[in-house]
Amino acid sequence: MAVSANLLAVPVAAPLLTAALILLFARWGGRRRIRHQIALTTLALCLNLAATAILFQATAGRGERFVLQLGDWSAPFGITFYGDGLSATLLLLTALVALAVYPFAVATIDYHRDRMGFHPLYLFLLMGVNGAFLSGDLFNLYVFFEVLLMASFVLLTIGAQPAQTNSGIRYVVLNLLASTIFLIAAGVAYGTLGTLNMAQIAQRLTMASPAVRTVFAGLLLVSFGSKAAIFPLFFWLPASYHTPPPAVTALFGGLLTKVGIYTLFRSFTLFFPELLVSWQPILLTISGATMLVGALGALAQPGIRRVLSFHIISHVGFMLMGLAVAQSGNRLAVGFGLGAAVIYLCHHMIIKTALIMAGGAVELHMGSDRLASIGGLVTRQPLLAFLFFMSAISLAGVPPFSGFVSKLSLLQITLDTRHWFVSGISLFASLLTMINMMRLWRESFWGDYNRPSRVPVRILQSRIRQQLMLTPVAVLVLLSLALGIWGGPAFQLSMKVAQQALDREAYIEAVSPSSPISTPGAEQPLVSLQAYFSDHPKAISGMTARPLLESR
Amino acid sequence: MISLLLALAVGSLFASGTYLILRRGQIKLILGLALLSHGVNLLLFGSGRLTEGRPPIFLDKNVYAETIASSLPADPLPQALILTAIVISFGITAFVIVLVNRRHTVTQTDFVHGEYVPLLREGDPFDFSDSSDNVQHDWLAYEVDEVYDSEDLLPGLPAMPESERDESTAMEEDSYQWP
Repeated sequence: MAVSANLLAVPVAAPLLTAALILLFARWGGRRRIRHQIALTTLALCLNLAATAILFQATAGRGERFVLQLGDWSAPFGITFYGDGLSATLLLLTALVALAVYPFAVATIDYHRDRMGFHPLYLFLLMGVNGAFLSGDLFNLYVFFEVLLMASFVLLTIGAQPAQTNSGIRYVVLNLLASTIFLIAAGVAYGTLGTLNMAQIAQRLTMASPAVRTVFAGLLLVSFGSKAAIFPLFFWLPASYHTPPPAVTALFGGLLTKVGIYTLFRSFTLFFPELLVSWQPILLTISGATMLVGALGALAQPGIRRVLSFHIISHVGFMLMGLAVAQSGNRLAVGFGLGAAVIYLCHHMIIKTALIMAGGAVELHMGSDRLASIGGLVTRQPLLAFLFFMSAISLAGVPPFSGFVSKLSLLQITLDTRHWFVSGISLFASLLTMINMMRLWRESFWGDYNRPSRVPVRILQSRIRQQLMLTPVAVLVLLSLALGIWGGPAFQLSMKVAQQALDREAYIEAVSPSSPISTPGAEQPLVSLQAYFSDHPKAISGMTARPLLESR
Repeated sequence: MISLLLALAVGSLFASGTYLILRRGQIKLILGLALLSHGVNLLLFGSGRLTEGRPPIFLDKNVYAETIASSLPADPLPQALILTAIVISFGITAFVIVLVNRRHTVTQTDFVHGEYVPLLREGDPFDFSDSSDNVQHDWLAYEVDEVYDSEDLLPGLPAMPESERDESTAMEEDSYQWP
């Protein structure tokens, strides 16, 4: 089946148009209108899942690349959407996570938050995430970042409880600072390279001076790393993830940091493949520190969601470790490290969402997530206990589940490239994860039944809502099991994805940006960049120097 | 000369914005964010060339290559970027102001405390009995109809209309028995 590149617009357009449609009629009526909102949102999520599944089959399965030049403006002038295996994998998982969290959200989000526009915000967040995965233009990426940030700000603080506003301020300010740094990076790119199109940036960076490359890479590492919550920049995450309703935490934990990880993967493989080698000690140090700090921080946390949000940080360290060894010479295969990181990303998105949802269900049943005061839920909620246990051991990396395959492949590549220290740290972090998961399980499910809150939770007294809460967790656990059992084919697929992502020449050729100014009818640009830089070797060492065309 | 002035302006905006963000007051935080976004906008402005008296207009499209070669026109793209960035930062500043206002209403404080301040004061890092947002799981309060329309938990929000309340509670009447 031939797939048109126009399919790339669906993951952005479907949530956007549906959310706009919902907002048009959002102020009318009460409960019944919210049912209409729920139906429309489910429709958009299913459409998104179908489109991304087709896209994934075409890109990761058959190795195609899709480029959509919006409005048919050629590459550096218009907005470029680019879809290859990496973006399609993330789009598919995003669609899965969004569709899985949605029933949980419908069951647990209260009427007040429904009325304040929870459902359109959900779609706007999805649109921003999808757009960030598809964008082939640096400034457009910034805009999509802002869209998803704005939606996440509102989702985090919707309801405006004291704890939410406290955490909201930290989250908003730290994320805004990261966006500001990213905008500076875009300004530096435009000032020194004269373009914002990612393919053209990749083209011109090979000719740029090392100073420009270093500054640009550093700015991108800081801003994307802050979004991904890597070691010194993760403080916004544990400060905020335990305050919103559990459905929002599950969505954030599944999607938000992964945008940062994706942009790190994309920018380092496309812009600076040589820095993956020369900056490898830095990246490995950061990843080791991230793993260790996340796991150790989780050990000291008192509540379920606090523990789980520290574990997100720890897992980001694992993925960064895969990126750091992506280019190293090894005898396994080209891009083995990145392939391992991609399969780890899939495992993490699936199981982390399931675990946060299960933890949120525990929290709803108990009225509190303080581990010290809850306990004994296993007799009251055996199905929930089973699902929680399954996702916990999958997160820790026990064999039949996907955690084992992904951790094994990452460990294989780091041992093969002789990074003993960081592989030791990753093993230690896995051990700490296991300890933490056992702690969560013991404190919340074993022991005497102990429910600290005297407040009855009405929404749990409905059987339909119970089913809506637990079915998505079960589906995600089954998916993780399938990913573990069919680990071989899944890993081959992710290796294909990684090799496609590492092939930067093909990316540039697919987008094929034309030179900004060319004489009509002439093939060559008026002034070739190469000729200019050979005449003026110091021209682009300064930040605001942009005399790309001035030699005439 | 003018580029030096521009660089100094960008630098001082960044410096004062960072200083204001690092202070504890919320209003200073808002001002700091605004100054930072102005600094970035100026930086974007400087990323195009600083030209004078050369509009980005070609009088005759047949000779635009020669026009570019003889005298460089201004670059209109940074201004489009700045316009987008201004719109975004305007929206975000509005959101932050509302958030700060809401926080002031619900917590009666202007200061941004560290999350673990009460713990550090206790001296025992593993005693979580007094951590403020551990004790009250406020989002749960929403689920309860008794608290749903109490004015003191949510000052300023409209109470749920009577007709809708009946309908919303009717949906929950299911057969599930709470143990």
